[in-house]
Amino acid sequence: MISQAAKILSAVGIVMLLFSCSAKKITSDFYYEHQTVLEEIEQSYKKLNEQRPFSLAFTDKDFRTASLEIITDTLSYIYDLGVHSQALNDTLHKYHFNVEGVNHLVDLMVGLRCTWVNNFDYYVDERKRTLILISIKPVGLHPILSYKKYYILTFFSQPQHFDEKGRLLDKRRLRRLRKINGEVFQRINDKVCYTISGQFR
Amino acid sequence: MPAFARKAPVVDPSATSTQQQAIDFIDKITSLEPSVHWPNIKPKLFLENLKVNAHNQLSPYPGRGTNFCGYGAITYMILREDPLGYIKMLLKLYSEGKADYGRSSFDPSQEVKLAAGTFHFKGILDIHPAEQMWYLTLADHFKGYLNIFNRRYDQGDEDTFWASVNYAKFNRMVRKLLNYDVEAKGSDLIRPHTGGTYEYISEKLKTGVLVLYLNNRILHKKKLEKIKLAVPTHFVVLQDISRVDDTITMVYWDYGGKTLLQINSHFLHKIVFGISHCTKKVAHD
Repeated sequence: MISQAAKILSAVGIVMLLFSCSAKKITSDFYYEHQTVLEEIEQSYKKLNEQRPFSLAFTDKDFRTASLEIITDTLSYIYDLGVHSQALNDTLHKYHFNVEGVNHLVDLMVGLRCTWVNNFDYYVDERKRTLILISIKPVGLHPILSYKKYYILTFFSQPQHFDEKGRLLDKRRLRRLRKINGEVFQRINDKVCYTISGQFR
Repeated sequence: MPAFARKAPVVDPSATSTQQQAIDFIDKITSLEPSVHWPNIKPKLFLENLKVNAHNQLSPYPGRGTNFCGYGAITYMILREDPLGYIKMLLKLYSEGKADYGRSSFDPSQEVKLAAGTFHFKGILDIHPAEQMWYLTLADHFKGYLNIFNRRYDQGDEDTFWASVNYAKFNRMVRKLLNYDVEAKGSDLIRPHTGGTYEYISEKLKTGVLVLYLNNRILHKKKLEKIKLAVPTHFVVLQDISRVDDTITMVYWDYGGKTLLQINSHFLHKIVFGISHCTKKVAHD
């Protein structure tokens, strides 16, 4: 009886271990499988955001509604608008966006089930730095019973520091982990990191 | 003094000042000495932070990913009401390690004093140590039921229940810190009965400062799930509200600036859990 219980417990342990390992692997694999599109999303957002600061999210599972946050010096505007709707195009025109460019970004994001793209300010030695944060809700495998369902990728402008386990470190205190929104990030390359999170922003 | 007597105000809570008075005062200060009480605060950044607050009353920024938004809303209200008092109080807290404001005396813990000035990845709050100090002090001082299981600050607790603000605690803070009467409708779990959310809010906005307690998980989705936790988490200070057909346009202060949001009346009803109507106390002879 005891040995049977031990076998069941071992089996459960192995399954849990497999899932916990696969989650990490899936994310770095995901990046390399979709590297071209991810980099296009990052570059096109970066360019559009320099012209007019904004963030773009999708607020429904079917990716039919885009939540557009337009950031100006005096006010931030938040609009929930249908993808490729006239209302979205009218709004983009009104705020002098590159309409074609934003619509192309929308298509890229929908194609990859990318839930959010955003510019993130942070400070190192009192100097402002920015990174681009992309959240993805992937289809397919993710750990059963896991609440973590989103892949979060960060694109830094400068190479970052990592520990021997590939975890993102705080530059100023090299042994301290650098958490973003409470999450520890793992290295993909010098400038790109990932984490798996329960929230996309 | 009898044991049941109410504690006398520490600082005159009816004191008010103008933005120009605050600017004139802080702009004359060109440097500060390091504080022995707040070892991780850089004096230059501290002074710059106070100047930013004085020149731009929308500027309080409670930080990305923190639970400081209730303290940010209070700070914005104080900056509108008494910016000079706010700045003098923060200077005293910085130099002496303790200070009074309204009907509260602040004597922050050693853990909090070590944490101020060390935040990272919180947006511009990273370089605003005066606000770090103030939000940590408020969270350390005011406690509600959400803080029961985590009452002592540990590193990173600005993101946890240690810093959370429930609705009753927020209203208590307003009464303690500002010379306001607060008419509060709503709660942490049940939406207020107003007979018409838009009508009630727009009517009350005409006669006072209006703070809305919102379910940010619906307003600003973080998960694409059908079932969303019906618990509010966000305080905003309403500036304007209008309606055309069923489109409601709200302008409110949150996170260091103004936000304009367009929603319909059903959605407004869904996200509003608390409406605090704050009016200045009338002096009686």
